[in-house]
Amino acid sequence: MNKKEKKKHRMSGYTFKRKVAPWCILAPPIFFTLWLKYYPIISAFFISLFKYDPINPPGHFVGLKNYQDMFQMDFYWQSWKNTLIFLLLQLAMCFFIPLIQALLLNELQRLQKGLTTLYILPALIPTSVNVIIWRWIWHPDYGVANQIVKFFGGEPQAWLSDPELVKFCIIFPGVLGGGLTVLLYLSAIQGISGDILESAALDGCTGFSRITKIILPNISFMVFIQLIMCVITTMQLLDAPYMYASGGPSGASTTQGIFIYQAFNQDLNYGRGSAASIVLLIVTALLTMVQMHFEKSERE
Amino acid sequence: MLKKKNKNRIRRSGSDRILKICAVVLSLVFAALMLYPFIFAISGSMKNNSEIYEVPPKILPSSANSVSLVVDYSDVEGDEEKLKDLMQQDSVLSMFGINYKMGDQSIMEIQFYGTKDGKTVFHSRAHQMKLQMECDYGIFTRSAIKKDVILHGDRYLRASESLGYEFDLNGISKECPENLGNYFKDSITELLNEKYPLTGKLVSVGNKQNNWLNLESFKYYLQMPGYIYPKNEAIGKFGFMTFVGNSVIVIGFAMIAQVILCSICAFVISRLLTPRVGKVVLMFFMGAMMIPFASIMLPQLVMYREMGAYNNYAALLLPFLYPYGFYVYLYKGFFDQIPGSYFEAASLDGASNFYLYSKICMPLSKPIISLIALQTFIGNWNDFFWAWMVTEDQNLWTLNVALYNISNNVSTKQNALMGLAVVTITPVVLLSILFSKQLKQSIVASGVKG
Repeated sequence: MNKKEKKKHRMSGYTFKRKVAPWCILAPPIFFTLWLKYYPIISAFFISLFKYDPINPPGHFVGLKNYQDMFQMDFYWQSWKNTLIFLLLQLAMCFFIPLIQALLLNELQRLQKGLTTLYILPALIPTSVNVIIWRWIWHPDYGVANQIVKFFGGEPQAWLSDPELVKFCIIFPGVLGGGLTVLLYLSAIQGISGDILESAALDGCTGFSRITKIILPNISFMVFIQLIMCVITTMQLLDAPYMYASGGPSGASTTQGIFIYQAFNQDLNYGRGSAASIVLLIVTALLTMVQMHFEKSERE
Repeated sequence: MLKKKNKNRIRRSGSDRILKICAVVLSLVFAALMLYPFIFAISGSMKNNSEIYEVPPKILPSSANSVSLVVDYSDVEGDEEKLKDLMQQDSVLSMFGINYKMGDQSIMEIQFYGTKDGKTVFHSRAHQMKLQMECDYGIFTRSAIKKDVILHGDRYLRASESLGYEFDLNGISKECPENLGNYFKDSITELLNEKYPLTGKLVSVGNKQNNWLNLESFKYYLQMPGYIYPKNEAIGKFGFMTFVGNSVIVIGFAMIAQVILCSICAFVISRLLTPRVGKVVLMFFMGAMMIPFASIMLPQLVMYREMGAYNNYAALLLPFLYPYGFYVYLYKGFFDQIPGSYFEAASLDGASNFYLYSKICMPLSKPIISLIALQTFIGNWNDFFWAWMVTEDQNLWTLNVALYNISNNVSTKQNALMGLAVVTITPVVLLSILFSKQLKQSIVASGVKG
């Protein structure tokens, strides 16, 4: 009896307002998020089940046939292969550069401030500007790249028009490093407690051995997170290969994103594009879950 | 004191010193490598139209020359209209002829003085880039630079209007400067006599070095989109600034929308909901953030098209109208730290939620607002694909889309492209150097990048 009365009391004007008001405020943002972000996923899955007709949607229901057809396409697997090669190139050429830069920066005193500012700049240069500069560097006739190759006695290359080299050319600008990652690494390194470093120094652990034995093990978590971030962003690589080579030559730089785009832009096959979208979403979701799992375990 | 320092130096091991030297040298090498593309772009943007295609490319642009032609019309009979017409013909003919035939001589400016009876009565000047733009996209598109072609119909009149001129039979205040070099005298005299014969009598050809002309090219780079897309009114009027304006609108809207929306959500989650419910709501927003763009771009495009948000500002701005989960998370972390007694005191006095939010929460959170604004800028400044998919009209293009389209235009010269690229990044680079401290703080504070 007592409980019931309490419940009644809780539903009086003041508490009611306290319960409902937050949801009234939150309603528009939640609605927009549902509408702009979650609904497209459902709609992608929906479209992927149809032989979609853009003029009178949704067209003819075909079930999972779009997926079946897609998995039998050589071009689809080719685009996954491209994505994986991009990923390997990214990891081999670009992933460790910011780490090295941060480790070196940590050893500097006077130059540190200026160089950190310089290292941020690549993050603020839009891809379109990079593309303009680097397309000119790779230009077969007038570019600097062929001049350097010639200087060392090599054969001039076609670079971005060469299916063998195009992936290398798109990833290579990242070799210069920089970006926000340098700063994240640097702040992680500087977050290592002074006690550890001091006691290591007393034991005679200085110079390079300090980097390999003290600093790197202490920031391994950060490196791992960045590794997963790098994998996720490379999976979704879209702008750079599109702007450098429009997915060409002969599909050599077609990533997952470009495959999806071309499926509905060139082939007008909305069903296949949506099917590819859903597969990409699942792969990314799995990777994100791995990342979150490790982040959580680190925090505990 | 001195002794102590010495002792320290002795105690530092050799390994440490080697590391330090390595660090300095390698960091400087990295810095030099990183600066190279910038310097390459800046130098490329100041090269002239033929120099940019030189192999091997030079590091520095060559110095610019200004050429002055003086043509005398004392012997020419005719009234004012006739004289003006002849001078316009001659000026256009000589300028385009010289630019076309002697493009490799780094003549960046041509001045044309028409004199009669010892007085200067006509003056016109043109920059190399202006002449080249008229040849590439403007009045003389796809036409051979020959005398008959240039003087055909009213083309030379339009060209002359576009270059600008001064004419007064009673004399104008401009005079050809004295003491000019005569490096080009023979070649230009020969060229004009053979290929582009003038009505007037060529009196003198002088040249002067003026390196500022290399910088003046930028003025014409900014006008260039107006020439490439002549049918578009807005671009014809504002040139490259149309795209800058669009980018400012989109990024500005994104910043304002994110700052306001995310703070409201975070306020509710942090203050009005129980921690457990708050966590669920936060996860809801965070989940939306992790959906990769590539996998929803197709249905998103279909959806926006159905709504009519295609090829207009709505299509560009609408995607920013949802709170970005990561910023809600950052805001929430900040709001959680504001002492609860502030809110209790205010609500005991009968303050509404809106009052708590606008008068207590927001004034206290200036640092986090600037952080979110910066993060939004960094995160969306690079956006390309969505804007590229939903815009057809050129006057809706953002900077990235415009740069990509202009760079795909076959007849655009590389120096102009580099110039536009430099124009795009210079303000951002300057601002980031100016606000480097805040920028670094915001990046570090955000921990894992969004």
